[in-house]
Amino acid sequence: MTSAGQGGDDMVDGVDRRRHVSDYFRLERREVPSSAEQPSVVLGRAPVDDHARGPGGGLRTGGLLTNLDTLGGFTSGLAVLPRWIVTTSLLATVSELRHVGPLGYRADVVRRGRSSVVTVIDVVDEGAGGHPVAAATMTCAVLDPGAMALEFERPVVVPMPPPQVDPVGPEAFFSIEPGEGPVTRLVLVDRLRNPWGILHGGAVAMLADEAACRAVASVPGASGPGGVAAADAVLHYLRPVRVGPVEARCTVLGTVAGRTVVRVAIHDIGSDDRMTNLGTMTVVAV
Amino acid sequence: MAFGAYPPPEHLLGDLGMEAELTTAETAWVRTRATPFVAAADGGVRIGVLATLVDIVGGAIGARVLQPDWMATADLTVQRTGPVLGPQVEARGSVLRRGRTTLVIEALVVAVDEDGHTVEVDGRPADPVAWASMTFAVLPARDPAPMVHMPAGLPSQWAFAGGGFRSPVHDEVGIEVVGAAAGHVSLEVRPYLHNSFGAVQGGVIGMLAEAAGAEALGAARGGDGSDVVVTDLQIAYLALGRIGPVVTSARVLEPGADGRCSAVVELRDSGADDRLMTVANVVAVPTVDVVGVAP
Repeated sequence: MTSAGQGGDDMVDGVDRRRHVSDYFRLERREVPSSAEQPSVVLGRAPVDDHARGPGGGLRTGGLLTNLDTLGGFTSGLAVLPRWIVTTSLLATVSELRHVGPLGYRADVVRRGRSSVVTVIDVVDEGAGGHPVAAATMTCAVLDPGAMALEFERPVVVPMPPPQVDPVGPEAFFSIEPGEGPVTRLVLVDRLRNPWGILHGGAVAMLADEAACRAVASVPGASGPGGVAAADAVLHYLRPVRVGPVEARCTVLGTVAGRTVVRVAIHDIGSDDRMTNLGTMTVVAV
Repeated sequence: MAFGAYPPPEHLLGDLGMEAELTTAETAWVRTRATPFVAAADGGVRIGVLATLVDIVGGAIGARVLQPDWMATADLTVQRTGPVLGPQVEARGSVLRRGRTTLVIEALVVAVDEDGHTVEVDGRPADPVAWASMTFAVLPARDPAPMVHMPAGLPSQWAFAGGGFRSPVHDEVGIEVVGAAAGHVSLEVRPYLHNSFGAVQGGVIGMLAEAAGAEALGAARGGDGSDVVVTDLQIAYLALGRIGPVVTSARVLEPGADGRCSAVVELRDSGADDRLMTVANVVAVPTVDVVGVAP
């Protein structure tokens, strides 16, 4: 096996892992224009590939959050063109961990201000008759895109990326080092950077998911027969992750009716160990 | 610390009997008493009251950190992590990030005794009973004179004095259940509930979201709002509620097999063309799963 280096060769057992984060979970996006005054609605659709399923039986919550971040950010950005956005917070409640798939997403802008955009996103399981899966609220700060080219043919359609021939699991794709306990580390390889060159918000979410689950799994008696799975999430994006490696440091805060709340603090070790993200993941035994 | 004429003599914050202290330049605590009038169905402090507590601690820190600028709460989350019993509960806040346009604050809520010391369990400080976070939008000052009179030295203590409650807090606030299954509750806007902008205070928004979510989720389980206890609030504040009545609706995400249930609650200002004020994700658990659980 060839290991994935810091932005180097990303071939593993002959599999090209250089897919963009937003492509890994194969999210299709389709803009539905509204009236001239109202921002567009954006619909998303993505399968639940076997390699992306988690212990809960459906798409891992880190994957769900990645799609929420991708779709919500895209929707918010379209709403403020020619400016663009950066995510500041993502709040999500996941009501169903078992999914048939594909999952359908709908993103609506509910507030468009001078300096921020708020978008709500609903997720349903199309393969289970439209059963509700999750609801999320995403807040983005509006910024000047600088030299970044932001030209779209409207309405925007991003087709579903094709299936991967020999896919790797999320831990490998997101370069999350093997381990257990309250600290989990991610190596910042180039495929995990967004167009701004910083760690993709979805990669942050996947790291938070994995780290919180490992923290709870290390507590005696906390796991179920199938292990543990992350559900609800609160993620604040405080500062960009630029250098890496990236460390998620978890504190198990407590358990209410089988729901364990884990505080997750993410640090960019290469940037003076500064805290870049803070939030919580709610973890349940499955 | 003085906020001019805010809050007025007859005000929710006074009746909650909040005491507060700015401990350092970027930290503060605010505490209130865990009386039966602020209790949820499990006997623990209602999450909407916790939202009020953390909103105030965040506001106190923000007022100091940002002066002469001011702020508006953009989002607020609260999660119960254990039984929220007293005798008092205290939110301890600290700054996570102070940017040009936003301020992000984290708060841990702990149980404290009559003297303000952290309650101990088995000889060590008890775990936090809730975790909270807030994002504030920074509002640049039009007048260089600060809106808030800051104390010269730290730590600095103050209190909101009031007569206390004589009935459950949702009755005192005036929350009226109109249609439980759809999460329809209504609230008249009055100075008793105002924030410093003359609109409904952010913690009261949390109480409304809690009430609407609990009613809808309780009804979905074949009961009423007392059959569930709200454990998590994720609130995005979109616009101020100045006129009222503020009305809510809730959409239940189907309950999971393990009893977890959640709803999306919308709050609108019916007196302002039904303007969408707030979207909140509300998570609850069956009351029977949390009643009598010792810390």
